[in-house]
Amino acid sequence: MTIPYHLTKAEKAPLLLEKLNGLTNLHFEKSPQYRSMIEKGGFQITASQLEKVPFIPVQLFKLMDLVSVPKEEVIKVLTSSGTTGQQVSKIYLDKETSIAQTKTLVEVMKPLLGGKRLPMIILDTKSVLKDRKSFSARGAGILGFSNFGRKHFYALNDDMSLDIEGLENYLEEYKGQRILLFGFTFMIWQYVYKESLKKGYKLDFGDSILIHGGGWKKLEDEAVDASTFNQLLHDQLGIREVHNYYGMVEQVGSIFVECSEGHLHTPSYADVIIRDSLTFEPLQNGKQGLIQVLSELPKSYPGHSLLTEDLGMILGEDDCPCGWKGKYFNVAGRIPKAELRGCSDTFQGGVES
Amino acid sequence: MKLFWPIDISFDQAIENLKSKNTFTPFDEEVLLFTQALSKRLVKMRQMPEVVALGYWLRKANIMGMQKEWNNQNKGRLIKSRGVVFHIAPSNVDTIFVYSWMLSLLAGNRNIIRVSSKEQSNELMDLILAEIARPEFEKIAKQTIICTYNYEENYGERISEICHTRVIWGGNHTVQRIRQISLNPMANELAFPDRFSLAVLSAEAVMNTNHNELNELLEKFYNDVFWFDQMACSSPRLVVWSGNQKEKAKVRFWSAFENKIKNKQYELMAATQVLKYTTSLWMATETDVKHIENGKYFSRLQVTDVPLEARERHCGGGLFFEYDVEYLSDLPKVIIDKDQTLAYFGFEYSDLESLVNSITTRGLDRIVPIGQALNFDGVWDGQSFLKSFTREVVIL
Repeated sequence: MTIPYHLTKAEKAPLLLEKLNGLTNLHFEKSPQYRSMIEKGGFQITASQLEKVPFIPVQLFKLMDLVSVPKEEVIKVLTSSGTTGQQVSKIYLDKETSIAQTKTLVEVMKPLLGGKRLPMIILDTKSVLKDRKSFSARGAGILGFSNFGRKHFYALNDDMSLDIEGLENYLEEYKGQRILLFGFTFMIWQYVYKESLKKGYKLDFGDSILIHGGGWKKLEDEAVDASTFNQLLHDQLGIREVHNYYGMVEQVGSIFVECSEGHLHTPSYADVIIRDSLTFEPLQNGKQGLIQVLSELPKSYPGHSLLTEDLGMILGEDDCPCGWKGKYFNVAGRIPKAELRGCSDTFQGGVES
Repeated sequence: MKLFWPIDISFDQAIENLKSKNTFTPFDEEVLLFTQALSKRLVKMRQMPEVVALGYWLRKANIMGMQKEWNNQNKGRLIKSRGVVFHIAPSNVDTIFVYSWMLSLLAGNRNIIRVSSKEQSNELMDLILAEIARPEFEKIAKQTIICTYNYEENYGERISEICHTRVIWGGNHTVQRIRQISLNPMANELAFPDRFSLAVLSAEAVMNTNHNELNELLEKFYNDVFWFDQMACSSPRLVVWSGNQKEKAKVRFWSAFENKIKNKQYELMAATQVLKYTTSLWMATETDVKHIENGKYFSRLQVTDVPLEARERHCGGGLFFEYDVEYLSDLPKVIIDKDQTLAYFGFEYSDLESLVNSITTRGLDRIVPIGQALNFDGVWDGQSFLKSFTREVVIL
């Protein structure tokens, strides 16, 4: 039995449903905006099954501030990493939700990382953590995962160059020990892997475990999939164990991490539902559709049931060969952007060319 | 800078050629032949209904009707073309530049058209280029430049200096941006900013339709809405219901409309579905929005007012604001400057005329039966192209 991947469907569903219904009720009471959506949309506050819990699109957090606690109780604001000029999500955390996120992340990662803090290399720059009250998705991720390690070493300088000397010293110092590596998929690819390849650095991270997330979009553009990524990192950097995770700034803490079989798993705190991308009806296992993410953590903002723009597929439930229970799934990337025709935007057309 | 037309010469050379021959007189014979030749080709593009519509608009009878009206209006007057007209076409409604160009050509002008770079290869452009290359249209060919360029290049500035009329399509952002480029002091300018459009239906008239009439109405409404994914400025986004049987009429209309879209096999896209869902929930937080309903094919939002912000949040793709009035005469209070086309069903000319007379804002430039919302016309946004594209010479 591997906590928090120990509950079977029959055990998990009623527990999670009760918590989610509680959250729908809470946000209905505390957030006038959420209340309007639920009331005017004719949604049920108390759902009879997980599939019926009302869900709101992740993008709403880019369009408006959704908060269920008084502003003075907000201790942290998380923002999504959008590209320049794009609107970013703003997620308001109070103390309770923030603590719950940290605690849950520990539980979710424990089966992979154990209870002991490992020497930790962060494949990013320290500068993303500059502002302590407002965090980007990258900053929030690094901060959350830092709890698993000790002797944190940031492998990138502020100008994104690889601190090769520092890195070699660190690896020498902890030779023979298990090291935790953490970073964002694209950053690792661009600034660690490619840079090492270009400069001809041969590194051996030894008995290390890499945890990475943040999405594959930019790597897809270069036609790099997960197995290629893992293989190349193994060959160039000697990284032997790699686990990707699926998570988002709108639901920090209850993330979905890959098991030894390379499948993303739902812990007992969270779940995923795959919905038809046109009708939003729930789909059976084995069918690809939009990913809805459920989490029992968000109390300071109505983010417990969110429809993402990511496509994914549930591979099975309670029967992954790795032994963990719960749904296991994969993520196939983002839905293509809407390109509606219209009278506007001559100007944008010109600039893009 | 990329020149689609002319081919094999430089932009500077093309500008030289442009001025090498006299301008046409309005409705010149060569121009009429050219419009007819284009028309014949365009109406065959069955898979692109908006191109067929353009071809139909260019057909001989329509152009001759336009000519006749023109002659009547200008009897005894000496009218000349203005000279060089600079058209800046929108990126997405790809037929617009042809309408703009053809009207200018009928007025007799030389034309420089900047199309969006997105249109590098498209069937409409290929067809036009094949037609203009024919020897019998040599004079038109010499007086036409079709190009695209980045805004960082200074071609917009150069053309604005030499043109006599500048036509800006493409919405508020483009209009503001282009207006920063100084224009030949002798030139006039036509600008087409973002607009918003609506439909009004008499509930009684909808209830009084028989099956076939309702089907015909829905066919027309479908075209108005979905030809450009509800993104054309003249596509209805707000549906106003008037009369006594509104609830019954809505049920009848929308359920039949759902079937219509299904039968049309309109292609839904995941991103648009998510966008409509997001927009409707976002709108639900406004007090003016009473109820939202998200269906597979369209979303409906019952509203008690339509502020400018609501119009700007509209995402297209099949999202309808619905607003109830008792009488058509209650409509003017929600009409604002931005409103362009009102597509109607079940009203008389006199009702519509008194409606127009009681609007106190700049709103509403076109009032057309449902089914004609997208029909392009020589008068658009309240301005007559032929008038703007010509000048009157006075001899005393």
